[in-house]
Amino acid sequence: MVAAVLEVQDLYFAYDNNRKILDGISFSIGPGEIMCIFGPNGCGKTTMLDCILGLNRVEKGQIFIEGRSISDMKIEEVAKSVAYVPQKHEHTFGYTVLEMVLMGRTVHTNMFDSPGEDDIVVALDCLKKVGMYGFKDRVFNNLSGGEVQLVKLARALAQQTNLIVFDEPTAHLDFRHELNVIKYMTKLIKDSNNTMSMVMATHFPNHAFYLESQGVKTTVAMMENGRFGAIGRPGEVLNEDNMSRIFKIRTKVFKNLEKDTVLNYMIPLDFSDGGQWNEC
Amino acid sequence: MKSNKISKKLLFSACICIPVVLVFVSLFIGRYPLSLTEVVTILQSGINSTTPGVSSIKHAVVWDMRMPRALMALTVGGALAVSGGALQGVFRNPLVDSGLLGVSSGAGFGACLAIILFDNILFTYILAFAFGILAVVLSYVTGKIYKTAPTVTLVLGGVIISAIFAALISFTKYVADPYEQLPAITFWLMGSLSRANYHDLAIALVPILIGVTGIMLIRWRINLLSIGEREAKTLGVNTALCRNIIIACTSLATAGAVCMSGIIGWIGLVIPHIGRMIVGNDNRILLPLCIALGGSFLLIVDNICRSLTEGEIPLGVLTALVGGPFYIYLLKKTKGGGGW
Repeated sequence: MVAAVLEVQDLYFAYDNNRKILDGISFSIGPGEIMCIFGPNGCGKTTMLDCILGLNRVEKGQIFIEGRSISDMKIEEVAKSVAYVPQKHEHTFGYTVLEMVLMGRTVHTNMFDSPGEDDIVVALDCLKKVGMYGFKDRVFNNLSGGEVQLVKLARALAQQTNLIVFDEPTAHLDFRHELNVIKYMTKLIKDSNNTMSMVMATHFPNHAFYLESQGVKTTVAMMENGRFGAIGRPGEVLNEDNMSRIFKIRTKVFKNLEKDTVLNYMIPLDFSDGGQWNEC
Repeated sequence: MKSNKISKKLLFSACICIPVVLVFVSLFIGRYPLSLTEVVTILQSGINSTTPGVSSIKHAVVWDMRMPRALMALTVGGALAVSGGALQGVFRNPLVDSGLLGVSSGAGFGACLAIILFDNILFTYILAFAFGILAVVLSYVTGKIYKTAPTVTLVLGGVIISAIFAALISFTKYVADPYEQLPAITFWLMGSLSRANYHDLAIALVPILIGVTGIMLIRWRINLLSIGEREAKTLGVNTALCRNIIIACTSLATAGAVCMSGIIGWIGLVIPHIGRMIVGNDNRILLPLCIALGGSFLLIVDNICRSLTEGEIPLGVLTALVGGPFYIYLLKKTKGGGGW
C-alpha cells in the first residue's frame, strides 16, 4: 500500500459566525489519483480547498500532506507540497507570462533572493509542458481565459509538488479550452508516472467521466451539508438519485461507446423539486 | 525584450552613468559661472585642499555648495521613488505614493512642531523623522483593527492618519508666529534642498541606506505580494512578514529623505510609472531603475529651482508642476494599454 499524498480526517470548519461549513469530512488520495469535488454553490468546496492549502487554519480534524500534519507546517512548507490553480486571478500589474510562472519558484528561493538561471529553465520547461512556451514574453493580463488557466497551471508545475489543487479550472472557458485544460491535467498525471495527484473542485460531472475514460484513477465526492453525501468512482456516484438529492435537479446519464472506451455523460433535464426557483 | 541580456546591461550602465553625468553638469549650473577647466581642476584637487590658481570661493562653490546639494538630490529622489514603487506593488495600486501611510504628513507635523518649539535645525530633523515613523506606526495599528483584507484597511489607516496630521499641521500654522515661524513652516512644507551639506547627507543616508537595501533585497517578493494575498500565500510567501518588512523599509527611507528635504510630492508616484513604461512591471528591474530615475529627476528639478529665478523656487512646487501634467499625459497614454 502506497502512502496517501493527502489524507483528510474528520475535518470540521466554521467561519467566525459559527455557521458550520465543513462538518466531518474524511478522504484520502493516493499517487496518480484525481479527486473531483462536486457540490452546489456555497456548499464549502472552496473552504475545504483553502484548508488543504493552509489558508484556513484547521481547528478540528486533521489534514496530512505526504504524511505531515498541516497544523505543524508553515505556509512556506505547505507550498512545497501543494500547488494551487485558482479560479479567479485578481487583476494586477501587467507581468509577463514568464515572470508569472517564475513566481511558482518562490518555495525554491530564499526570502531575500530572486529566482536564478536554473529557475528560469524550470519555468520555461513548465511552459513547454502546457504548450505555452511561445507566450513567455506576452503580458499575462492580455491573455484569454483559456491561456490564463494554462499559465497558472504552468506556475503550479514550477512549484514541483506532488499535489495540485484546482478550483473550477474550466469556469468561463469555451468547449475547446475546457477540453484543453482537462487533457493537460490527464497528460500531466500520466507523464509523471502516476506520482502526481490532483484535487479539483468542479461543476461538470462530465469532467469526472472524461478523466475516468482516459484511464486516470478518478474519485468523485459530492458535498452535502458539509459532509460527503456520496463518494466513489464516477459511475457509482454521479447518478440520477444523487443529483436529485444534492442538486435538486433531474438528470439523465447516458452510456456511450466512443471508439473503444466507454464514455458516460450526464445532461440536466429539469428541477426535481417541483420547479421552484433557487432556494439556498 | 525585457529578458534580453544586452539591453539589461545597457540599462544597468545607464542607471549608473546618467546620474553621474547629471551631477557633473549640475556643478556648472547656478549664479556663479564656472568654466569646464575650472571645475575639472577643482574636482582633481580634492575636497579638503584649496585649488592652486582658482579662488577659494570657486572651490567652495563646487565642493561645499553644488556637490552636496546634487548628491542630496540624488539620494532623496532615489529614496522617494523606490519607496513609492515598492508600496505600489505591496498595495496593488498604481496610485499609491511614498507618503501613503502618513509618513510625509507625520514628518511635516514633526518639522512644524520643531520650528515652533525650538529654533534649531537639528531638532527639525529629529522630530520630522520621529513623527514620520510614528505616523506609519499609527496607520499600521489603525489598519489592524479589522483583520480581513489587511491591505485595504492599511490604506484606510494611512488616509485617516494623514488627515489627522494634516489637521495638526494647519493648527501649528495657525499658532505660529507669522513673521518668523510661519514662513519657515511654509517653506519646509514645500520642500527644499538649499540647506544641503555633507553632515546632513551623512545623517540622512543612514536610514535611507538601511531602507533601500532592504527593499532591494526583498524586491522580487513584491511581485508576489502584488498578485494578491491568497495566491501569494499558496505560492509560499509569508505575506504578513514580507509586507511588514517592506513597510518598515519604505518608511525608513522616506522619513530619512523627507526630514532633510521637506515634503516633496509626485516623485514617489510618477517616477515608478515612468519606470514601468521603460522596463515593465517586474520589480527586480523596476525598483533599481526607480532609484536612478528618481534621483536624476529630482536633481534636474532642483537645478531648475535654484537657477530659474533670482530666489529659490520651492521643490514641491516644481515637482508637481512638472509631474502633474506628465502624469495626466501618462494616464492618457496608458489608457487601455497593458501597463496596469
